[in-house]
Amino acid sequence: MSEELQEALNLAGDAVTRDADGTVRLVGSECGDCGKKAYPPSDVCPECMSENLSPIKLSTQGKLYSWSVVHAAPKGWTLPFIAAYVDLPEDVRVFAHIVDADPDSLEIDMEVETRMATLGSDESGAPFESFAFTPVQKGGS
Amino acid sequence: MRDVAIVGAGMVPFGKYQEKTLADIAWPAVKQAVEDAGIKKTDIEATYCGTALGGMMAGQRILKKLGITGLPIINIENACSSSSTAFREGWISVAAGVYDAVLVIGVEKLTKFGGGTLPLEKEDWEVSHGLVMPALYAMRARRYMHEYGLTENDIADVSVKARKHGVWNEDAQFRKEVTREEVLASRPVADPLKLFHCCPSGDGAAAVVICSAEKAKQYSASPIKVIGSEINSGKYMTGYRDMTSPEITLRGAKQLYEEAGIGPEDVDLAEVHDAFAIAELLYYEALGFCAKGDAAKLLADGETSVGGKIPVNPSGGLLSKGHPIGSTGVAQIVEIVRQLRGQCGQRQVEGAKVGLTHCTGGGVSGFDHGVCSIHLFAR
Repeated sequence: MSEELQEALNLAGDAVTRDADGTVRLVGSECGDCGKKAYPPSDVCPECMSENLSPIKLSTQGKLYSWSVVHAAPKGWTLPFIAAYVDLPEDVRVFAHIVDADPDSLEIDMEVETRMATLGSDESGAPFESFAFTPVQKGGS
Repeated sequence: MRDVAIVGAGMVPFGKYQEKTLADIAWPAVKQAVEDAGIKKTDIEATYCGTALGGMMAGQRILKKLGITGLPIINIENACSSSSTAFREGWISVAAGVYDAVLVIGVEKLTKFGGGTLPLEKEDWEVSHGLVMPALYAMRARRYMHEYGLTENDIADVSVKARKHGVWNEDAQFRKEVTREEVLASRPVADPLKLFHCCPSGDGAAAVVICSAEKAKQYSASPIKVIGSEINSGKYMTGYRDMTSPEITLRGAKQLYEEAGIGPEDVDLAEVHDAFAIAELLYYEALGFCAKGDAAKLLADGETSVGGKIPVNPSGGLLSKGHPIGSTGVAQIVEIVRQLRGQCGQRQVEGAKVGLTHCTGGGVSGFDHGVCSIHLFAR
């Protein structure tokens, strides 16, 4: 298989999608009974055990709760990478990589937005990708 | 429930024993504990063996070496709290009157994984997206630095203290002092944490013999009483949570102090789960040794060093003694037993009457920690 044909493995599966304009969006779950939202999506509510759950498209921007530049991780991950927790407005905290950012420019609680990014590769060398976040450019773009 | 006491304690020096089997690493610790108790092996009625990654039937593999067989052997996995959980199960069995005397073992051989970060469960969402334990603690550290003005020097000083205590402990994996500058110059693992902010990977085993307080006197002139035993799982949270405040430890400590009828001011020394240097600072606060935000000052004032008001990790802690994960809970208890008996030489906490052990276990997303077990002991 040539490199061009080798499709990246998407770690997040159906839990990430793209809007019509290409914006990367996380898909969580919302409980139809108690309203609890969760990411990654679940088929049972961790609050009330209801199975009446629906997919919910989450906000594409959130606040950077904390981060770390990771230099040691199992094989496959492209090192170093920036690991982070991002708080989305729906009271959902997401673990993700921060990409396209100088670590020195990061600040606690800064606004970040979704991206897709290649994060590493499996044993056969096939790349895997998933959602990630990047700092929102100040002043818009 | 009956009163319970520890009558025997043993451990092997933590280190790298790649050539040895798990059973060969562990049996000398068990033999030491049994001989320390002076108990006949036929009087041991059950064994609780904690290991996280030691594979099936670790207890049987160890005990057949010593011929302690034909009794109930219960193997327990609870990540880094595997053997603190095993201890609690053993305590329950004796306190409830099911058995009069039981053996508790903690064992792990991490060298079989060839080093690196601890292998976590890949079915977990965050693990499958690259979370490793140092990164989790590093993110706690960064948030705490932001909210409370903690500096990299403060975090480094935890490692400096741990290594200083480790010099005095012949069972410690690291027995050489380090300076703040050496800690900060060690290679980055998960910024702001450097290599010397992280516990080493290694192998080891520890064991204790516990029995009813009533029977304890026949084995030991100085039995160590178990005056409180607590275990909890973390609360699963999908939303925002304060990572500067370890909720499971706070909750557990409160419950334990109430149960034991004492407060943090009554504790003379503690062995806490300093898998990464930042953790020890968070636990000073969660265990009530100082107010929120004051951990760095408590350390800088020397209060948590041997000779201070509340020495923490006189053994060297996980940072210096080592952290073969399933062994840690019982190894912490072995240190407290030896301290309360006055057997610790240069690292002895003078006049210690009450000791605390605190052991957590993590690696599952959505929890502060998956498990935390805290115990109180008195002479």
